[in-house]
Amino acid sequence: MTTDRTVDQVTVQVIGNAMLSVAEEMGAVLRRASYSTNIKERADCSTALFDARGRLVAQAEHIPIHMGSMKGLVTELLDTVGADGLRDGDVYITNDPYTGGGTHLPDITMAAPVFLAGRLVGFSANIAHHSDVGGHVPGSNSGDSTSIFQEGLRIPAVRFMVGGTVNEEVVAFVTLNSRLPEERRGDLLAQLAAVHTGGRRFADLHDKYGSETVVAASEQLLEYARKRLELAVGAIPDGVYTAADWLDADEPGQEPIRVRAAVTVRGAELSVSFDGTGRQANVAINVVRSALEATVYYALKAALDPDIPANGGFFDAVAIDAPEGSIVNPRSPAPVAARTDACQRIADVLLAALAKAVPDRVPAGSHSSITYVTFAGTDADFFVYPEVIAGGAGARPDRDGLDAVQVHVTNSSNLPIEALELEYPLRVETYELITDSGGAGEYRGGLGVRRDIRVLADHATFSAHADRQTFPPQGLAGGRDGSTGRFVLRPGTDTEQVLPGGRVSGIALRAGDVLRIESPGSGGYGDPHARPAESVAADVRQGRVSAESARDDYGRSDA
Amino acid sequence: MIRIGVDVGGTFTDVTALDSATGRFHVVKLPSTGDDQSIAVTEGIRLVLADADATPEQVDYLGHGTTVATNALLERKGATTALLVTAGVADVLEIARQRRPHLYDLFADKPPVLVPRDRTVPVAERIGASGEVVRELTDAEVDRVIETVRRTGAAAVAICLLHSYRSAGHEQRVEEALRERLPEVFVSRSSRVAPEFREYERFSTAVINSFVGPVVSRYVRRLSERVAATGLPVGPRVIQSNGGLASPEAVAERPVTVLLSGPSAGVVGAGYLAGLAGHRDLITFDMGGTSTDVCLVRGGRPRSASERGLGGYPIRVPSVDVHTIGAGGGSIASVDGAGGLRVGPESAGARPGPAAYGHGGTQPTTTDANVVRGRQNPVSALGGAMPIDRVAAERAVGTVAEGLGCAPLEAARSIGRLANSHMARAVRRVSVEAGEDPRDYVLMAYGGAGPLHAAEVAEEVGMTRLLVPPNPGTLCALGLLVSDVRSEFSRAFLRPAEAAVLPALNETIAGVVAEARAWLDREARIATRHTVTVAADARYPRQNFELRIALPSDELDEAALAAAIADFHAQHEKSYGFAHADAAVQLVNIRAVAHGEVAKPDLPRLPQGGAAPDPAALRETREADFGADHGTVPTPVFDRAKLLAGNTIAGPAIVEQLDSTTVVPPGWTATVDEFGNLLIEVIR
Repeated sequence: MTTDRTVDQVTVQVIGNAMLSVAEEMGAVLRRASYSTNIKERADCSTALFDARGRLVAQAEHIPIHMGSMKGLVTELLDTVGADGLRDGDVYITNDPYTGGGTHLPDITMAAPVFLAGRLVGFSANIAHHSDVGGHVPGSNSGDSTSIFQEGLRIPAVRFMVGGTVNEEVVAFVTLNSRLPEERRGDLLAQLAAVHTGGRRFADLHDKYGSETVVAASEQLLEYARKRLELAVGAIPDGVYTAADWLDADEPGQEPIRVRAAVTVRGAELSVSFDGTGRQANVAINVVRSALEATVYYALKAALDPDIPANGGFFDAVAIDAPEGSIVNPRSPAPVAARTDACQRIADVLLAALAKAVPDRVPAGSHSSITYVTFAGTDADFFVYPEVIAGGAGARPDRDGLDAVQVHVTNSSNLPIEALELEYPLRVETYELITDSGGAGEYRGGLGVRRDIRVLADHATFSAHADRQTFPPQGLAGGRDGSTGRFVLRPGTDTEQVLPGGRVSGIALRAGDVLRIESPGSGGYGDPHARPAESVAADVRQGRVSAESARDDYGRSDA
Repeated sequence: MIRIGVDVGGTFTDVTALDSATGRFHVVKLPSTGDDQSIAVTEGIRLVLADADATPEQVDYLGHGTTVATNALLERKGATTALLVTAGVADVLEIARQRRPHLYDLFADKPPVLVPRDRTVPVAERIGASGEVVRELTDAEVDRVIETVRRTGAAAVAICLLHSYRSAGHEQRVEEALRERLPEVFVSRSSRVAPEFREYERFSTAVINSFVGPVVSRYVRRLSERVAATGLPVGPRVIQSNGGLASPEAVAERPVTVLLSGPSAGVVGAGYLAGLAGHRDLITFDMGGTSTDVCLVRGGRPRSASERGLGGYPIRVPSVDVHTIGAGGGSIASVDGAGGLRVGPESAGARPGPAAYGHGGTQPTTTDANVVRGRQNPVSALGGAMPIDRVAAERAVGTVAEGLGCAPLEAARSIGRLANSHMARAVRRVSVEAGEDPRDYVLMAYGGAGPLHAAEVAEEVGMTRLLVPPNPGTLCALGLLVSDVRSEFSRAFLRPAEAAVLPALNETIAGVVAEARAWLDREARIATRHTVTVAADARYPRQNFELRIALPSDELDEAALAAAIADFHAQHEKSYGFAHADAAVQLVNIRAVAHGEVAKPDLPRLPQGGAAPDPAALRETREADFGADHGTVPTPVFDRAKLLAGNTIAGPAIVEQLDSTTVVPPGWTATVDEFGNLLIEVIR
């Protein structure tokens, strides 16, 4: 050690690993103790440790959209309660996107200050997606709300626990506002157990290594992440790299919304401006600050260096400017529940801009739609079947894109056909890759997915919010665009009907009706004519490309 | 009588024989024979018998661990396979669970599907969720499908139809027709290989079974022939992923059961040895050249998983739940541009290996760091058979020192600390995911490098006791000598646990129990005691995960069912901190576990010695490094072979033996128990 403020690099990394272990243990406790499938099985939650100044030092990652999104509550506590006002045994919650740093209401953040010998040493925090927090639809996650007040209960930063005792008044307040009060209570108590485990282990760590050492190590962990970013940015030529794309019209008849990003590189510094991005949406696809930040961090990590630690050192080194009143900086009370629809487009645009700076590291445009569908109805009981359908991932500068995967800020699984047919009066008749949905290119875009669902109940309704039904995934470097997605009612019959767009609700279905879901493919990379004949022939043999497309798009009439 | 265990690894084939007359172990290590592993196996048997001065007729037990199936899958050198799948959903394997392989690495790829779309044959048929026929499978369709398979030239076929876990009729008809008309083709059907719901995982398991089937069948046939030719009166028994043995015939039919068997024999051996010494709660820590395997053993039983992955493919087969990380003796250390140290997951492997081994390796590895610090013998290894190039190790570690801007010794310490920190994270992970506190457990260290690192890993996690078995490098082969015969049979049930389903439940139980007993009768002639236990995977409706509860193996009445339901609520409470006592409980799968207990050999005991080791056991005193706190100090090095039961060694000390090196840091004390284990504890 040279000074009492510096710790050797390996001690920094050993302490970093130990803090990651604490976050992982918090995640294990949260998943084990939670009631709802969403947290337990789908791990729609994240856990983190912050230093005493509110900077993220370790996060157990599950979903990119959660990156840094617990920071809002910690910042809010330091700003409003103040370090002097925080008490051991107090635990705070919030879910509000406009005041508490959340990204939409179902995500409830919980944070506790951690003390060692009466001194604040940091915060233990977690975030979990609750399956219902009230609002006008079950699940509190509809795409068509027009105000955040329709989306559920807004919880400002309040104390869930006061001086070591659960604040039952707050619990009662929250649970009364949920359609599943018991589950809410169970999940909140699971979050509490996790926050306590994290706090205890974090304090143990300070005890074991000495607070001075841990504080210095945390500082250097932040510094290390910043340096990783600077190294990556420093390797890019200076310049302003811009790109733009469109979101489908938020409502029928409305103008579509443009997303534009300019990435400015000066030496080792990088900033992002969304100047030129369109108005805030009338439906729930608005992106508040924390969701925007998570999306930017995702795109930078993906394009520049996937191993940059997701911590405050990295986050604080990126300047983000977003015009007020736009979809990337909406004014309260703009609705936000389905914010990931727009996050996916933002990620595409950022990657397209970065492709101009680091052309060998960025794929063509991906399906980048949260194709979120629900079938609801009454059989023996009322049922709601929600699903998110994957699509194509963009072709890469050296290989084809991936078929049928989730991209960017999410990575959720499908529900097995057998599980869904056991549970709901529905039958999956088709689940397949869509021929020709990947944009042609020297490297072909990944394919989208077709899923046909037949209704077996007397009556049901179909609702969805999906994008890229108007504007296709963009090709890159001469590659062609991928296919758009669509919803088709009763395909192949006399009464076939293509639904008017990706945002629909309450489409009536009767027994025997089939609803076809087609997700978008993705863009191709490079000139299709440069694709080797044997690759085109293999694609035709495998049914990924039709003979017509081989001839028309690839110029291979022999395939 | 003589028991033999043969464990085949990528580089070496380890053979261990236990002579019950003398109570002595005989160990042989020889290079594996890649193209046909059975050549080294039989050669090893011959050598070990010669070493034991015994004849083949004396052998009454031959346990075998093989990597044939694992390699075939990982290297994708399986059979040309065709997939027969319900029309309309032919892309189940392509789409999988629709997750991308890496959150941020845009260049990561999904593992390629084992059956491409042009060998995928849609079958016009459909079973519904309650087992009802939605679309009839016609004879004409069966004919068409078989003709199509014939045209693909596939050597293996997987039959994967929706809801076949509930109604296997269609799959069975296709199977029978295939066996009759294409008898040379290897056939798996999903309702037999993994009869549980969730199509992607079931189909994946069936396809892998077919993909590796022909390779494994050929191997076990050759192995059995070669073993018979050596004059052994017994055939081989092969260890499976669940830690239990099965016959070559059973493995040839369901090779998917041995895919994850690699580390399971070691865990079984560790559990057995530690159990004899009175330690029932362990975390096994098997550190080899390229990776470290960690597993939680509670109450003497390894934690098991009903599904695991290999090479990115899910395999729905009960397995010992081993967590593997890419950190081992050969893990390469480097410094990145931002000044961060990395250790692993890249590995120097067996060739070129660590710089110290003198096979041309120049990159610094964990092993080189141990040599530089004098923890690993800086002159020779393998009892003098292999020279160690200390200078090369120092040169290699020097590159890290340059990157970090520190002295070579400091760099070597750093490599060790970071490797230990990765492994500590793995140890914490297997314990906290089971809801256990690692400090209540004993860390059982084996593999060539485990005992070198275990004490510091334990310190990092707060554990205070280690156990190092007598032969840490060949524990897997020991595991093969003490495994039982074991298999599991399941049927999907998917009905509520209520009185009305009792007749169906009892029928299902009777079915799996009969299957398990028939298997035991066939398989477990070497076992002394046969038991069949019954269990159910149960859940609250709409949960997506199941807990296993025990059921009686004979007929259930209402009282027995009520007891089982109460047991489920209690287990849910214990595992997750809550239960819905009034909620319905769903029985998802019914399982029968067939267990044939094989008589355990009497393990040799060490003669009793005094508290102080015999002076002859002290090999040398050399400078060894124990980190910044304790520095580099003259350290006594003991010969493990000369230690006796009751000997106590206070750290700092090093214990060397042919296949491993044990480090006892300052603050720890090692005691030799009667089985020759080193019990190493923190001095309080």
